[in-house]
Amino acid sequence: MRASPGGRAALAEFRANLKAAPRRLYESAFRSGAPTTDRSRSTFVFGNVFLHLHAVRTHRWSLRWTTTLGLGVMSASAFLITLVTGVMLMFYYKPSPDLAYQSIKDIHFVVPTGRLIRNIHRWAANVMVVAVILHMARAFYTSAYRSPREYNWLIGLLLLVVTLGLSFTGYLLPWDQLAYWAITIGANIAQSPRELTDALGVTGLFDPGGFQRLLLLGSDVVGQEALIRFYLLHVMILPLALAALAAVHFWRIRKDGGLTRPADADARLAREPAADTYPVFTEAPLRTYHLAAVVRGRTPAVNDGPEHTLPSMPHLFYAELGVLMLTLLVCVALALVSDAPLKELANPSVPENPAKAPWYFLGLQEMVAFSAFMGGMGIPLIVLLGLALIPFLDRETSATGEWWGGPGGWPLVKRSALVGLAAPVAIEAFAIRFGWLREWFPAIPQLVVTAVNPATLLTAAYAAYSVWCIRRHQSARAGALALFTCFLGGFVVLTAIGTYFRGPNWVFYWSPADWPTH
Amino acid sequence: MTVTPKPSRSRLDAEPVSRRDWLGLTSLGVTAGALLFGLVGLLRLPKAAVLSSPSKKFRVALPEGLPAGEAFVPPGRAVAVFRDARGVHAISITCTHLGCLVKPTAAGFECPCHGSRFAADGSVTKGPAPRPLPWLKVSVSGSEVTIDEGTAVASGTKEV
Amino acid sequence: MNKNKYLLLVSSAAVLLLLIGAAVQETFLQEWRRLQARARTDEGPIPIQLRQVVNDSLRAADRCVSCHVAMGPGEQGVRGEPVLAAHKPVVHDPAEFGCTICHAGQGQATTRSEAHGDVRFWPEPMIPARFSYAGCGRCHATLGVPEQRQLQAAAAAFERLDCLSCHRVDGRGGTLRPDGGGMEGPDLSRVGLAGYDPGWYETHLDKARTASAGPWRGAVGPSSDEDRRLLALFLSTRVASPMLVEAKSVFHSAGCLGCHKVSGVGGDDGMDLSRAGDKDPGQASFHGVPGQPTIANWQLAHFRSPASIVAGSLMPPVAASDRELDLLAMYVLSLRRRDLPEVYVPPDRVRSVKLGEREFAGDGATLFGAFCSGCHGQDGLGRRLPGVLSFPSIASPDFLAIASDGLIVSTIERGRPGRRMAAWLKPGGLRPAEVRAVAGYLRSLGGVPPEEDPRPARWVTADAAAGRKLFDGVCAGCHGPAGGGGEGPALNSIVLRDSATDTFLVKTIGRGRRGTVMPGFLSATPAYPALASADIEDVVAYLRVLQGGGS
Repeated sequence: MRASPGGRAALAEFRANLKAAPRRLYESAFRSGAPTTDRSRSTFVFGNVFLHLHAVRTHRWSLRWTTTLGLGVMSASAFLITLVTGVMLMFYYKPSPDLAYQSIKDIHFVVPTGRLIRNIHRWAANVMVVAVILHMARAFYTSAYRSPREYNWLIGLLLLVVTLGLSFTGYLLPWDQLAYWAITIGANIAQSPRELTDALGVTGLFDPGGFQRLLLLGSDVVGQEALIRFYLLHVMILPLALAALAAVHFWRIRKDGGLTRPADADARLAREPAADTYPVFTEAPLRTYHLAAVVRGRTPAVNDGPEHTLPSMPHLFYAELGVLMLTLLVCVALALVSDAPLKELANPSVPENPAKAPWYFLGLQEMVAFSAFMGGMGIPLIVLLGLALIPFLDRETSATGEWWGGPGGWPLVKRSALVGLAAPVAIEAFAIRFGWLREWFPAIPQLVVTAVNPATLLTAAYAAYSVWCIRRHQSARAGALALFTCFLGGFVVLTAIGTYFRGPNWVFYWSPADWPTH
Repeated sequence: MTVTPKPSRSRLDAEPVSRRDWLGLTSLGVTAGALLFGLVGLLRLPKAAVLSSPSKKFRVALPEGLPAGEAFVPPGRAVAVFRDARGVHAISITCTHLGCLVKPTAAGFECPCHGSRFAADGSVTKGPAPRPLPWLKVSVSGSEVTIDEGTAVASGTKEV
Repeated sequence: MNKNKYLLLVSSAAVLLLLIGAAVQETFLQEWRRLQARARTDEGPIPIQLRQVVNDSLRAADRCVSCHVAMGPGEQGVRGEPVLAAHKPVVHDPAEFGCTICHAGQGQATTRSEAHGDVRFWPEPMIPARFSYAGCGRCHATLGVPEQRQLQAAAAAFERLDCLSCHRVDGRGGTLRPDGGGMEGPDLSRVGLAGYDPGWYETHLDKARTASAGPWRGAVGPSSDEDRRLLALFLSTRVASPMLVEAKSVFHSAGCLGCHKVSGVGGDDGMDLSRAGDKDPGQASFHGVPGQPTIANWQLAHFRSPASIVAGSLMPPVAASDRELDLLAMYVLSLRRRDLPEVYVPPDRVRSVKLGEREFAGDGATLFGAFCSGCHGQDGLGRRLPGVLSFPSIASPDFLAIASDGLIVSTIERGRPGRRMAAWLKPGGLRPAEVRAVAGYLRSLGGVPPEEDPRPARWVTADAAAGRKLFDGVCAGCHGPAGGGGEGPALNSIVLRDSATDTFLVKTIGRGRRGTVMPGFLSATPAYPALASADIEDVVAYLRVLQGGGS
């Protein structure tokens, strides 16, 4: 058969297309070419679904290390690390009481890199909790919750809750003694509204506590049902929720005009010229949009003097990647030094003594040791509510974007830290030395103990102190500074007491060396 | 045929919603209703109609020489059974605070988790436990005792 | 903005370094890798890989053979360091059963310390090497083991009759062979399980008589029935676990069952020992325990001084030599249980569980050793321990001469309600035949038959009120007010009232008990004046009306 001339041409074209396929694949994936010019850098960012969460240009203020300390990126990086390592662990983990513990042992001993991966997972989870809390503190102390960022502050609070939930649900999965009893306590904290309903005598009619516990455990006891629920929450529901919320959180940063910065940020940046900034707008924009129709309010740069933004690609991405690798470094280093704990197999008839929750819940556990409902649900809800209200109560505008900014400033923070640390120490010392209401009046009604206990007193003291600060400095921001600092101090003290000074039967000991042997 | 120009409206003005757009409103309403109903059904799923937990009633044989006032904890159960001259009684050993298992001691019960203490009759003497340990329903036939963990009885009720 | 680039460079480089380090550690430096790299077979080096013994029905996945390579399936030829060497020949091939079923420890682990259990949170550390035989107890019940003296006598008889010349037992003997090498007789290490020819004695005599030369000629002479009984006892205990049998015989001599239960048999005073070998070191207090914090050391310290290890313990210290204590510790370590699939349950366990066969032998000496000797002493002469009630001497000839068999049997069967002496005729206690065996043995301890007693059981018709006065003045000092007991035994027990004859009581008061603080009241002592026969009868009349001590 002879090929016609047309056929030969088609073949040639086919060959040429085949040869060009790799190049065309590359071009269709990266339309803008190498990001070497301002324009191609911009298209590189908004042509990529993931990078597009970032603005095309980043303000130089945002890139200063002291602006954020990289804490937000660190939280996200830690999440990414737990996500990857967690998925790897799922290859071997079996969510069944008979097999879970053995499968963790297998991961530990015979799965190649299994021990390291599990340790990294564990440490990244801890790093994430720390980073999220510090990130919140950073946002608070630089007033980053202020308009227009109120909504993102709320999303951030939700992210904090989901993060703690992720850590907590992961705690049960190894099915060791530590896990079993920490979850038993956790599930009963969920049931603690009964403390109120019982005292009011309405549990028979209205039992939110029992319902919460049942929902969490799927049974009366911590068993197979509970394990599968915690597993589902840990690997599916909560990560999805966290990813969705985080996407909103990131996207809102962009929509809210980037990170918070002081009003005079540009002026201050003008005094520290950056040698490696790129020229601004050297080419005509490739496309124009009806910006005026879409964007309301002031645009950042128009008629506003020198431009202090840099292309996000590569400046922001170097910073973000740097923090990611730093986080990874911290996690890997800790993972190599210290193994994730695995105690003996869960034994439902021998309570772990002391049964300690993960460290970041030990502050709660310390309060729970006085009243289950107040310590486990009441106070945390009050704190969360207080945090959620902050952006709506503090409508001031001065010193936004400044560390410790606001009336009172750094001295107020220092004073509040002192109060925040001293008050729980004093109350705890009193309660440990002299006992509490029940020891003095055994017949006291439970409602009184629920209402008046070290945890509620501490909260009340903090609230009173911050109200005093509001009056003294004539500013809601001063009150917020005082309250937030106090809560942080209380968290630190109670967590430290719960972690280091509580032994068997939750008795106070100066060191574990003094624990009685049983 | 003449075209009557509509009054011009800026693109930035809000578009008035027609009160007669019954089709749109109804369809949205029905969608919301259907999804809401489905959601309610979906939320019923995590709460099983019957729990997989073991029966709350069980029979147990007390050991022969159980001294009066000494607790016998049937293996795998969160109950302490006592026998004395006045009869048999059972007290739950699940702490009313946060569900740890309390330990029977000479003086009563001790919770290892947050230091609650209970007297021998289950009443709280110390610590955060909000309620006394409940006494459970028992019925005795010979040396066998049937205990119902699900039914609490008044403190002090003993069965012979 | 170069500092971000430096940050990235430094942290990435550090991560890379750490990961390379981790990879090197994991790929080259693990101890089992280094061990296997030094192992050789005749064909050369062995492939370096994780090895394991998997037995699904025993739920074993033991990676121990990653280091102990030659113990693994088909790896007998591996040579090298001692740790690599093959297991010594045992009944159960480790390549089939795995390692942890006998030795405990953590089979899943792949590092030495974690596999052997030298780490925190270890619910099941390895059984120490010197107690290895304790591992047998996890499946085997090893039935009918006699008390120590009989077992020793049996072993001595086996030795004395020169059986070891031709037979090998537990790795000893079987050396006699004129043309060198080999054994003349079969290995007897497992005959307790496998059984042997009951007509062996006649066969041996025949062969010895008819042999014209060689080792058989004149090798076996006639032996006494007693010797043959001892040989039979010795052979019945050869179950390839000599140390465990020895440990059981010590246990059956120490009287522990008087207070403790094992597999549902024994007293209720102490804790049930059925799973004591599974005790979790993580749950134990090692306060006051010398040496390593192991369960074996805990047990040893506890035997020597129970109250200083377990506060408030009423257990008397175990009177035994160091070696016996070691064996006791080993016995306790052998009390392990694991749910086994049906096919792996050995016949001895089936017989003990399904047929109720005893772990201890059924003769009176063993029963006395197992149940009574803890309180009454191995010779039955009682024990006096500081801080604990003293235990009566029941082998005293003074007692046995006047106590009827009926009194002894009913005392054992019904006990002393309210006192530490339990009623032994009960499920989990002694069976009627066993009670009689104990009574018979007790009788043999005193070496005296009961005196004839022509009188009826109750013949005293004296004045209880007068008896009461005498009792309060003279007897209550030791026997307690109203006979409630004190230094001396309680006398208000209903069992004593029911089964002691008047003759017994009168003679006891009159003659006293030699070797105890009970004097004979017919003659005066430095502490007490003599009582007239009528006075003694008054006291007996009072004893008859004492109330209390159970009903």
